[in-house]
Amino acid sequence: MNRQAQIGIRFRVSAGFAAVGVALLSAALPGCAPVRAAGQPETQPDTSEREDYASPLEVLLSPDGARLYVLCQQSNEVRVLNAASFAVIKSVAVGRLPRGFSLSPKGDRLFVTNAWDDTLSVIDTRALVVIHTWPVGAEPSSVVENLSGKRLFVANRISSDIAVLDAQNGVEEKRLLAGRGTSYFALSPDGSRIYVTHIYPKIIPRQTGLENRLPPESEITVIDAERAVVVDRVQLHGIAGVFHGSISADGRLGVAAEYHPRNLIPLAHMEHGGAFTYSLELFGADVGKTPVEVPLDELERYASQPFGVAIAPDKSRIYVSCGGSEIVTVVDVPRLLRFIHTHNGPFAQDLSASANYVVTRIPVGLNPRGLALSRDGRRLFVANRLDDTVSVIDTRTNRVASTILLPGSTTITTPHENKVDIASSMVDGKITCSKCHLDGRTQSQYAPTAGDLETLIAKHKRLSVPDLTSSGSKTISPLRRGEQIFYTSRYSFQGQIGCANCHIDSTFDGIQWNLEPDGFGRNTVDNKLLEDVTDTEPYKWTGTNPNIPTECGPRTEKYFWRSENYDNQMLADLAVYVRSIPPRPNRWRLANGELTPAQERGKVFFERAVDKFKKPIPEGNRCSYCHSGPKGSNQKIFDVGTRKPNDNTGLLKAPVLTNIALTAPYLHDGSARSLEEIWTIYNSDDKHGRTNDLTKDELNDLIEYLRTR
Amino acid sequence: MRVMARVIAIAAPCALLLVCGFTTESAQSPAADIIVTAAPVYEPLAALRGEERFPKGAQLLLVHQGMTEPLVTGFVATADANVSFDAKTVLFAGKRSEGDPWQIWELTLADHSLHKIVADASDAIRPLYLPGGRLVYAHRTDKGYRLEEAPLDGSAVQVLSYLPASAIPAFVLKDGRILFEAGFPLGSGATPELFLVYSDGSGVESYRCDHGTARWGGSQLTSGDVVFTHGATVAKFTSPLAKEESIVTPRAEYAGAIAETTSGAWLMSTRPSAGAHYALKLWKPNTSLSRAEALTTLLAQSGEDIVEPALVATRTTPKRHPSGLHDWSYANLLALDARLSREGDLRVAPALVRLETQDAQGRTVVTGTAPVEADGSFFVQTPADKPIRFALLDAKGAVLRQEHGWFWIRRGEQRYCAGCHTGPERTSENRLPTVLQHTTTPADLTGVKELREAQHGTPGGN
Repeated sequence: MNRQAQIGIRFRVSAGFAAVGVALLSAALPGCAPVRAAGQPETQPDTSEREDYASPLEVLLSPDGARLYVLCQQSNEVRVLNAASFAVIKSVAVGRLPRGFSLSPKGDRLFVTNAWDDTLSVIDTRALVVIHTWPVGAEPSSVVENLSGKRLFVANRISSDIAVLDAQNGVEEKRLLAGRGTSYFALSPDGSRIYVTHIYPKIIPRQTGLENRLPPESEITVIDAERAVVVDRVQLHGIAGVFHGSISADGRLGVAAEYHPRNLIPLAHMEHGGAFTYSLELFGADVGKTPVEVPLDELERYASQPFGVAIAPDKSRIYVSCGGSEIVTVVDVPRLLRFIHTHNGPFAQDLSASANYVVTRIPVGLNPRGLALSRDGRRLFVANRLDDTVSVIDTRTNRVASTILLPGSTTITTPHENKVDIASSMVDGKITCSKCHLDGRTQSQYAPTAGDLETLIAKHKRLSVPDLTSSGSKTISPLRRGEQIFYTSRYSFQGQIGCANCHIDSTFDGIQWNLEPDGFGRNTVDNKLLEDVTDTEPYKWTGTNPNIPTECGPRTEKYFWRSENYDNQMLADLAVYVRSIPPRPNRWRLANGELTPAQERGKVFFERAVDKFKKPIPEGNRCSYCHSGPKGSNQKIFDVGTRKPNDNTGLLKAPVLTNIALTAPYLHDGSARSLEEIWTIYNSDDKHGRTNDLTKDELNDLIEYLRTR
Repeated sequence: MRVMARVIAIAAPCALLLVCGFTTESAQSPAADIIVTAAPVYEPLAALRGEERFPKGAQLLLVHQGMTEPLVTGFVATADANVSFDAKTVLFAGKRSEGDPWQIWELTLADHSLHKIVADASDAIRPLYLPGGRLVYAHRTDKGYRLEEAPLDGSAVQVLSYLPASAIPAFVLKDGRILFEAGFPLGSGATPELFLVYSDGSGVESYRCDHGTARWGGSQLTSGDVVFTHGATVAKFTSPLAKEESIVTPRAEYAGAIAETTSGAWLMSTRPSAGAHYALKLWKPNTSLSRAEALTTLLAQSGEDIVEPALVATRTTPKRHPSGLHDWSYANLLALDARLSREGDLRVAPALVRLETQDAQGRTVVTGTAPVEADGSFFVQTPADKPIRFALLDAKGAVLRQEHGWFWIRRGEQRYCAGCHTGPERTSENRLPTVLQHTTTPADLTGVKELREAQHGTPGGN
């Protein structure tokens, strides 16, 4: 079975069994009856067919404005629409999880980065067929061709670099180092420069050991597009998470959307930008020598998760899609420039600053992402990733003039008859549905009655729920609604944050936070990757949360949102979504599944029971004991000697090793800046595995193996 | 018993009600009802002084299709109607007999059944529904009115405000916070001002810090703006601005609370001058007419003030605040940079912070001092559920800056502030405060230690 099929099944399973999570959660929370939305039937007819979702992520207009290209992330395709009638001209299948696309300067080729295939699809825009599929770097996320048409630049998120390719044959010429999580490009209109952003902050090298308590740092990497060399690195202080950028038509104003976290301050309350400021980074001749950060937020409203940026052709307006707030923020450029030149900065701490330049906030669909402006600047297209629509905004009225629906493209089949599975899995008063990944461990807290069982069966057949759009008329799978809940910021106090703020694109954010309930300045914690977390409970670094509903429900409501949460049914949907997040392909494994010699040697160290001096290593001190099982954790609590003075405990749950190569820094507080530092700096007593007998080369081998996990 | 309004014609308001959109979002009825308080005398700010707002009594009237009738019978005085989010019940303050204090009742509109929620020997006024089947109201004490919160059965009353002065709830905002009126400076001043607090009593702060003018009668519009009155004018707080924004309204005196209809028109109680009575008027915001004629009279009664309009219509339920208070007897406060202030940043680095509270007799008591770090940060453990205030001192103990008013921190509350009176527009700089690099144990300024030593003697001493 190929990997695409595997992923398809994962989503099918998750979608088909989302309802089980609802029922189980409802039963697991005494006194919390499931809430049924108005108009929603108690049960729905059994059906074995479910619709998949398009998930439009980016939009592009052809140079003549006649076509609208929509990059559909979940259905793995580019949909080509008539830009006037919005009729579908054709759908072009591309690779897995496409993330970015761009047109050649002539508009004759459309380049698509397939993030999970590590390939680039080249589409002939006349024939609308894929003419090439070129292998590129790790998790390609954006692509742009230079004006001469000689070179292609591809942003690789995992390797944090830019691959320079021959535009005619896709042969890689060289790599340019960019920021961590390199993801998005903005090409200057004259084609001379490419501005590159990255979504994870840099790893600040170890100097004092307190780098985990320093403000995050990011950069905009500036590339000479003809010579393919880095000519500048614009430093962005205090920024973690930079997304799309845009350059004005006259080339004098550059803009990038970014997050400004407040991770060094205890996350005690949300008011006054307690968790994040969402801002624009301004740079270029209009701004001056030093880039200027300007917030988009207000005192009681936030521009959560800014992502897409478009500048009007006449430079009158900047449009910013805000995925969490479900709006497009409109900025008046002349007023903005006047403001920054007549006021003394910095402005990032002033929530009233945006009153000087934000014109309006236009509500759009769920999780708005990519933007495209028509050449005359009169129509703005907004890809609403999570309600499968494109909003078309009339920029003269700043209103949504029309909404393009993008129905799912594929039909998938649910894998088993729900009723039989549940009914047959009633064992010792506990319900198990192994195919739903909701087995006895998480259900052991309750013993349902026969009545509960009937309810459970009925709920298990509940295969569609109202979505989060205001109309509520559209029904979707519980899994899809869980994803909508994950990305929206509407549940937090004044709409400041959502799950996706710290778990960018359902992953992590690369920074460390101080959570209020642990005490101010106590228990600094590194944010964890969310991939493949099913069956890895308990959660939190200390292992004090027994399951995902607890993690995402009461705890999140009280200590993150600081505001009323979703109901239990929606919480179950969210839990189902979180469980469904698959691990991305591991780039350190060979395609044939074998290990390199270094990885093989490292594996031996990982699994060894005696040290180099032939002395037995106690079981609890072997790598393979705590980090056992397919996900690299035996899910037990240990003290491996990593407790810091400000930690309340040294007892930590053995963390999983899923894609550990991506998630630096390491240890519970992010104090180890690399995998190597875990043992060279923080394992002097060999409590975190027996490693002090290893040479540097041997330790490197161990790390090489760990990267394959 | 249904009675006709004494002055206003019936047909006119009925037509207005239809035209102006007094309909609930889902209701089939052509017009929504209105509840008002009619009183011979209305003193909108009297409660802030601990005095009676309705010294000659008051009666709640239901305005239904142009007719008015008493909302409830069997009371000698009723006031302060607050309609539930589903428009099925009404909270109000009432007195059964002349000698009674104001007490809190709930009326079910469908069957006119009543139940008493708060009964006490002292007045309880201005009840407001909170999400989650709870209410907030003001309860008279020997120090004035204080905010209290309880479930709708009146059990398990929780005190929310801890001031030597009155605090009166005004509105429950969409974000779940309670907008309340109190004098500025908080706990010591006499200028009416609008403040905020969560429904567990935590997070008390000014709505905005452009203090100076008297502001009261705050209510939140559908847009999220908070509209209020200065008496002679109306203004609003908007999300983008750190200061109030004036609204051009017809020349009149405004009693206070404004109710927004579903069509966006405002119900307001106004009078032409101080000697006249308040009448219920309708006004469409953003109209070019700012003359008094732009106000359409909906209800006027000779010799009576018609105030406190409440629309009988469903409305969005505010967000419930999930209390994160810890089970402690104290509170923790972290100042990130005490040098910062809206009045101008301190140029001299403070060396110490001094905390003051009040004892049972209302006397100011110093609970202790703590060092202020070079970056302006300090971390202290404070007395909870008491009025407190800070002063910044130099190395010689001289006061560099001092809070003029009082505030409180709830038991188990942990909060931080960006500076000293920096204003809600100021977010904090993302840096680890020096004090947390030195210690994560707050300096004990609860005064408990001093008290214990005074009672038991200093170790090693006589």
